[in-house]
Amino acid sequence: MSHTVLVCDDAIFMRTMISDILTSAGFEVIGEAETGVQAVEKYQQLKPDLVTMDIVMPDMGGIDAVREICQGDPEAKVLMCSAMGQQALVVEAIQAGAKDFVVKPFQPSRVLEAVQRVLG
Amino acid sequence: MTNVAVERVLVFEVGDLVCAVPAGVTREVISPVAITRLPGVSDVVDGLINIRGTLLTVIDGHRLLGRPANPDHEGAIVVLEVFDRVCGLRVGRLVDLVAVPADAVDGRDTLPGVDPGIVKAVGRHQDSPFVLLDLEELLRPVMGT
Amino acid sequence: MDHGRYAALFLSESREHIGACNQHLGLLERDPGSQEAVHALFRAMHTIKGMAAMMGYAHVTELAHRSENLLDLVRAGTVTADVALIRLLTEAVDELDRGIEEAATGHDQALDFSYVLERLDTLVGPESTGASPQAPGPASAPEPAPRRPRGDRSRPVRVTVRPGVMMPGARAALALNQASGLGEVTDVTPGAQEFQQEGFDGAFSFWIETDRADEVLEEAIRSVGDIDSVTIGDAARSQGPAAGGDAVQRAHNTIRVDLRRLDALMSHVGELVVARNRLVELAAGYAGTELEEVSGRINRLVNEVQAEVIATRMTPVWQVFDRFPRAVRDLARELGKQVSLTIEGGDIEVDRSLLDEIGDPILHLLRNAVDHGIEPGADRLQAGKPEEGRLVIRCSRERDSIVVIVEDDGRGIDRDVVLAKARETGVVDDEVEELTDALLLQVLGRSGFSTATKVTSVSGRGVGIDVVLTKIRALGGSAEIQSQVGRGTTFILRLPLTLVIFRALLARVCDERYVVPMAFVAETVEYNKATRAEVHGRDSLVLRDEVLATTDLRDIVGLDGADRSMRRPCVILEVGNRRSALLVDALIGQQEVVVEQFDPPSGMPRWVSGATILADGTPALILDAAALV
Repeated sequence: MSHTVLVCDDAIFMRTMISDILTSAGFEVIGEAETGVQAVEKYQQLKPDLVTMDIVMPDMGGIDAVREICQGDPEAKVLMCSAMGQQALVVEAIQAGAKDFVVKPFQPSRVLEAVQRVLG
Repeated sequence: MTNVAVERVLVFEVGDLVCAVPAGVTREVISPVAITRLPGVSDVVDGLINIRGTLLTVIDGHRLLGRPANPDHEGAIVVLEVFDRVCGLRVGRLVDLVAVPADAVDGRDTLPGVDPGIVKAVGRHQDSPFVLLDLEELLRPVMGT
Repeated sequence: MDHGRYAALFLSESREHIGACNQHLGLLERDPGSQEAVHALFRAMHTIKGMAAMMGYAHVTELAHRSENLLDLVRAGTVTADVALIRLLTEAVDELDRGIEEAATGHDQALDFSYVLERLDTLVGPESTGASPQAPGPASAPEPAPRRPRGDRSRPVRVTVRPGVMMPGARAALALNQASGLGEVTDVTPGAQEFQQEGFDGAFSFWIETDRADEVLEEAIRSVGDIDSVTIGDAARSQGPAAGGDAVQRAHNTIRVDLRRLDALMSHVGELVVARNRLVELAAGYAGTELEEVSGRINRLVNEVQAEVIATRMTPVWQVFDRFPRAVRDLARELGKQVSLTIEGGDIEVDRSLLDEIGDPILHLLRNAVDHGIEPGADRLQAGKPEEGRLVIRCSRERDSIVVIVEDDGRGIDRDVVLAKARETGVVDDEVEELTDALLLQVLGRSGFSTATKVTSVSGRGVGIDVVLTKIRALGGSAEIQSQVGRGTTFILRLPLTLVIFRALLARVCDERYVVPMAFVAETVEYNKATRAEVHGRDSLVLRDEVLATTDLRDIVGLDGADRSMRRPCVILEVGNRRSALLVDALIGQQEVVVEQFDPPSGMPRWVSGATILADGTPALILDAAALV
């Protein structure tokens, strides 16, 4: 059975790209979220195996969303999608429970490597 | 009218002697400032001064030329650059910056009572003679390495 | 990737964001304090940046990135959204609007945003990494892990992230999380806060208390990916977890800087120190006022800046000395000799500018030693020495100075030959019977003396020593020579750590002030009836169980000796193992002194090493302690 993924990003462009990368590698994207609030709601509703999380989003940023998700489910597997220059925020996200990260611009292979690590 | 080369010189008085240095080697002229004695060096050296954060060795023109200072002179320091070294020459007072036609400067000559060794030439300014100092000769013993 | 489809997505979504930007710029114009507008602008720029980066549109990415950085500063309150800033942002958005269209049609490479970027730079700084405002300040050196007793299961672990990866700090945080899952992690060095810093290079260490095997621990740490090395237990400890991390950090966490910039910076700091000295002196007349407070603050800041700049310029001597063994080998081979050179203390650090200056004089001493000091192999064997000649450079720190010892085990200097030559040329008086080490140095230091070729090969002292000694003195240093016939010659060079600024003691005699480098001041004591003594007819000072010959600074500088009080301050000078007592009229205090270059008259006395400008703008001479002890 393929792993399920929730893709969180406020840009359709990014959601499309990430979904394409994951789908082509056999993952099943079962939901998308545009805001942090949506991400938390959809996580609880869909219980995906993996979440990809943008950091900068309206209505609750990615870090707060990770914190809420991981408080509700310590086993949650969240992969941060960050941009250059956001190391401090990524470290914060990891301390909040994120399991790995990729930095934009990323190669599809980088994303898949990170996903493999997160899913063990 | 013939084309005559012109040399610009700075004319000043040291005691009773009117002398000059080429404007080309003169960096600037400053008023006397506080001076720090340099022990152990030739007594023609006045000492060190600070001009805008740069140290400068000052040489007393009176002692250098063996002319007693004129007490009426307010004094001035002519900053000179000779043989790659910079130093100040303390003089009695400035007279003028003049352009001297080359034919108004005699060849190597001197004035009565002046050591010919230190004179490069004798010139005229407003009908009075001045000696163009041989700075090389004068300063080499004091500032030479 | 389906590039065309993404390009279309990029274009339509970026247009939306540009629209949002324009809308929020309007809002910001009406209400420059609007956080909502700033946040929205920031997010829009951030999103455009991320998309453009994925598309490989470098120019659009750059412009969005810089705009985002500026907005980040506005968000943090560091920069105020005034009319000029809003106008600049509007311009950036217009440029970006144009750029997006161009880039989406394949013309990103042709874009040129330099005009607007330049102006963004003036507000943000060109090197800004866009670090979040939560992570201010430079990374501080990691503190060593405490060495308190630990349980048997406790182990030190040292980890380095693969160099060059993105966000090594985040990778390190992941590794640490993995380790924490296996046991109790303590003493993380540098602290986890450091991981957030942009400058962090991914080298860190910690202690872990766990039942799990080393292999399990290592595997867990490596599972986060991009881990270069994991060292556990004694191996990590022997390198010292913190120290090891620090060394790695130093190796990777560096930038290249043009030396001329450092020189310019140092020169400005020098001027700043002089101006600061003047300010502090002026402010002293306004005790209790705000001026005094501000001057105190500037004083501290200048000290810190100075220390940092000097630290930046510090370079281990091996960087220059490393070329010596080769030079020695080549010359020895050319001369048919066998010579080895050992360098000790190569890690000692000195100011880069000084290092550049001392390389040549030291090389000169080495060449002399190979050429004239070390005997041919056969002579050495006959003299009962190993065939291979031995040269040693020893570097060490001594207070604020560096000591460089250049030692050979050659034939030593033949004092008789040198003395005869010195008498002949009138360098020493005829009554001088013996050349002491000090006198030998004086003779060799005489300009031109040692360049006379006649005695070169037999005297074993080589040529151009005077040039070397002059250079060392010009650098504010001092030199000593020790030589024994048949045993070899040793030059002991003492140099300041930096050429430009040093701490000094200001002393007064009569109405003149002189500067004594603190590098040579052991202590200051009072000279009085109780401490003075006459030993072998010489005025001396008894200090604890030591008798020190006194020198009166008045005599040195040639000031009237009358009216000498019986109670006078006294500076104990120390150069190597030589000490003496310098009597002055008053000690004025300590000051940072900046060495000023100037053209000195000929015949400057040996006891002057240079000159400086005091706080009140007056020039003052710097004493050469080595010439006074």
